[in-house]
This record gives sequence, structure tokens and C-alpha cells, in this order.
Amino acid sequence: MGTVGLTLQWEHRISSVAGERGPRVQPSEIAAGQNRENTALPDDAALAAGCQAGDLRAYERLYQLQGARMRNLARHLLGSQTDAEDAVQDSFLKIQRGIGSFRGQSTFVTWAFRILVNTCHDLRRSRLRRKEHRQDDSNETLPRMEPRAPGAHPSLRMALERALAELTHHQRDVFLLYEVEGFRHAEIATMLAISETASKNTLFQAKRNLRGMLEPPRSAEAGGR
Amino acid sequence: MNVSCNDRERIFLDGSPEEWAALEQHAASCAACAGELRAWKSLSTAAEELRDYREDPQLWMRIENSLRENEQAHPLRRGLSERLRIWRDMPLGWRTALAGALVLALTISGVYVVRHQNTPDTGQSRLLKNSVLAEVERTERDYMKAIDKLAADAKPELDSPANPLLASYKEKLIVLDGAIDELRTEAERNPSNAHLRYELLAMYQEKQQTLQEVLETKR
Repeated sequence: MGTVGLTLQWEHRISSVAGERGPRVQPSEIAAGQNRENTALPDDAALAAGCQAGDLRAYERLYQLQGARMRNLARHLLGSQTDAEDAVQDSFLKIQRGIGSFRGQSTFVTWAFRILVNTCHDLRRSRLRRKEHRQDDSNETLPRMEPRAPGAHPSLRMALERALAELTHHQRDVFLLYEVEGFRHAEIATMLAISETASKNTLFQAKRNLRGMLEPPRSAEAGGR
Repeated sequence: MNVSCNDRERIFLDGSPEEWAALEQHAASCAACAGELRAWKSLSTAAEELRDYREDPQLWMRIENSLRENEQAHPLRRGLSERLRIWRDMPLGWRTALAGALVLALTISGVYVVRHQNTPDTGQSRLLKNSVLAEVERTERDYMKAIDKLAADAKPELDSPANPLLASYKEKLIVLDGAIDELRTEAERNPSNAHLRYELLAMYQEKQQTLQEVLETKR
């Protein structure tokens, strides 16, 4: 796994902020952060019932509540804003077509995100297949993030995005769902059809790999002193 | 609670809030753990930088149009949903009464049919049920064997994937195998649960399709 260009000076770029945020970063479900509790919305059942009744306002409400998060996740999974928007649109169509099969085994939002993740995987695979046929350079197959509105810390964001592209798809999915989108391991397990333990293990591996890619090389560190 | 440096990785993996607090306390007097803890936490902080939740009303307009088109193309589906909604919206008492009446009607019809047919014994139906189950299991075994053959054909490509597409297929197959194992364990515990069988079949079909795609890539 390559680490070229991914290095970040932990001490200078991140850790000064990290100390102030505290519990958000603990992998424990309980202490894991504020947005991790938002996924089971109080009107989740009402939203599902509305969609089952074919009420377009319910779909609009779903978009208002989760659309931005769905788009963000899809963009990171696919590496392109255009593809992400297509994936979100496809997912809404699949939700409408498959709403009859939703029986409340999970929350409606979790079910919707499961569809989105599968749609993104299908899109990515079909895109890769097209590229294989065109015999493109294999480097082209890695997700390349498109430019985005200026964020709080562009260099940190870019380094993390590049490091994420080096992870396995599975590790990237779990990291994005847990750390970025704030889902709980139980929800991720449902979305990815894995066990909660597998979700925790995958997150651990993902973070370990990311750490390895983002930390400065030991020799450079020593040389700097 | 006391923790040592040896507990650090385990707590990172799946520590309880108490263990995290104990690790923080330990890190105050251990430079190595303090560094590791800070770096580990920094990843979560950095992940927050990846959130871009800007509104996009244009996308909703696109989605709304496609939902309307889809609805017009499949009006029957909505009709079924509405009928199901009537059932769901009905008070529980009414639903119970209707379900009871249905069961009663089916029982009476069943008794009538049994009495007016010259069936040799009632053990036959039980036997039939068992034989159907045996047939399902036999077919499932055959299907699994066929998929195993496909998997054997695809193995060289999957063992050392030559490109990211094959690596992606390999990961998908690992996830599918995990799900199949879990479902099979459940199905073994409850062999006559048809829903589990359908889920299992869907997983097998997904695996078959994935393996076929791997073999197509090979060609």
C-alpha cells in the first residue's frame, strides 16, 4: 500500500484540535458522538408508512432529512459528484420500487442507506467494467475526489481522501459510515450484511491502515529533530 | 479500573466507556499511550472534515420527476401498497377479529375437504411436508455443488486479483460467503422457515452472478 504524498504532521495538523473534541472519537457506541443518535429518527415509521402509501411528500421529507448525507456518502464511495447524484437518484427509485418489501426489520433510514451503498457498489463495478473494456490505465480506477467548496482544512481533507482511496472497499465503507456519517455498528452491520463484530474489526483495521498512511515517516521525523 | 499499555489495542477495537476513561487516565502518565491515543482520536476528528452537507434542491427536482414517472409507469404497485396500508391502519382488534375469522373459515373448509376425500391416513400429509423439505435441501445441495464448481473455475483470478475490479469481486464474495454461513446456521436451526430459505437462495443467486461476472472478466 503506497504512502507517497499522504503524510500529515499529526502534531501540527490534527492533534491540537483532537484534544478538545474528546468523546466523539471513541469507538464505543455510547460515547461515539452526537450525530450517531440521529439515525433512528422519531418519525422513521411515519416516513416509511408515507413512502409505502406512495406519498411523494414522504420521499421529499426523506430527502430533506437524509439527502445531503446520502449525497456525501455516495460522493466518497464513488469519487465524483455527478456519479453521487446519479446514485442517490437511483436509490430513491429503488426505494420506491422496493418499498413493499420493507417490513421494519431495521429502521427505514438504515434500509434506505443499505440500498444506497449497494447502488454505489453496482455503479462502481459497472464503471470499472467499462474502463476495463476500454483498457484504461489502472490508476484511473481509484476514486478521485472532485473539487469541493473550501472546507475548514483542505490539506487535511485531501490527505484523508487520498488515504481512504488506498483502503479496501470494505474498510472504506465502514470508516465512512461510522466516522463520517455517524452510523452505529449495528446499523452498519445491517447495511453491509455483516456482523457487528465484523464492523468493529473492519473499522479498527481501517483506522490502523489510515494511521500508517498518514503519520510522518519515522526517518523524516527523526531527521527533523 | 486499571489498564496497561497491553490493553490499548483491545480498547481501541471495542472498549467500553469505562475502559476508555481508564486508558485516558493511564495515558496521562505514559507518553507512548498518550501519543497513540492522540493519533487514534485525530482520525475521527479528521473524518469530520469529510462532511459536506450542503443543500441541493436541484437534485430533489430530478428525483421527484423520476419518482413521478416511475409511479405512472407502475400504477398497480401503488394500488397494492394502499390496500396493505388499509390493513395496517386498521385497529388491532379488528385485524385480530378478521384474522380469526379467516382462520376459522380455512379450518372449516379444511375439515370439509378432509372428510369428503378418501385419504388413507393423516400421517401422509406430515410425510409430504418432510419430503418437500428433503427435496428443498437436496436441490440446495446440488445448487451449492454447482456454485462450488463455478468458484473453483474463478479461484485463480480471485486468489491473486490482477486489477481493482477483481479485487472488488473478491471482497464481495467474502461478504456473501459470510452472510451465507450465517443464514445456513439459522436455517439449520429452523429448517422449515421458508423466509430463511428464500433469503439463502437470493444470496446463492448473488454469489452465482458475481462468479459469472468474474469469469466473464477473465474471458
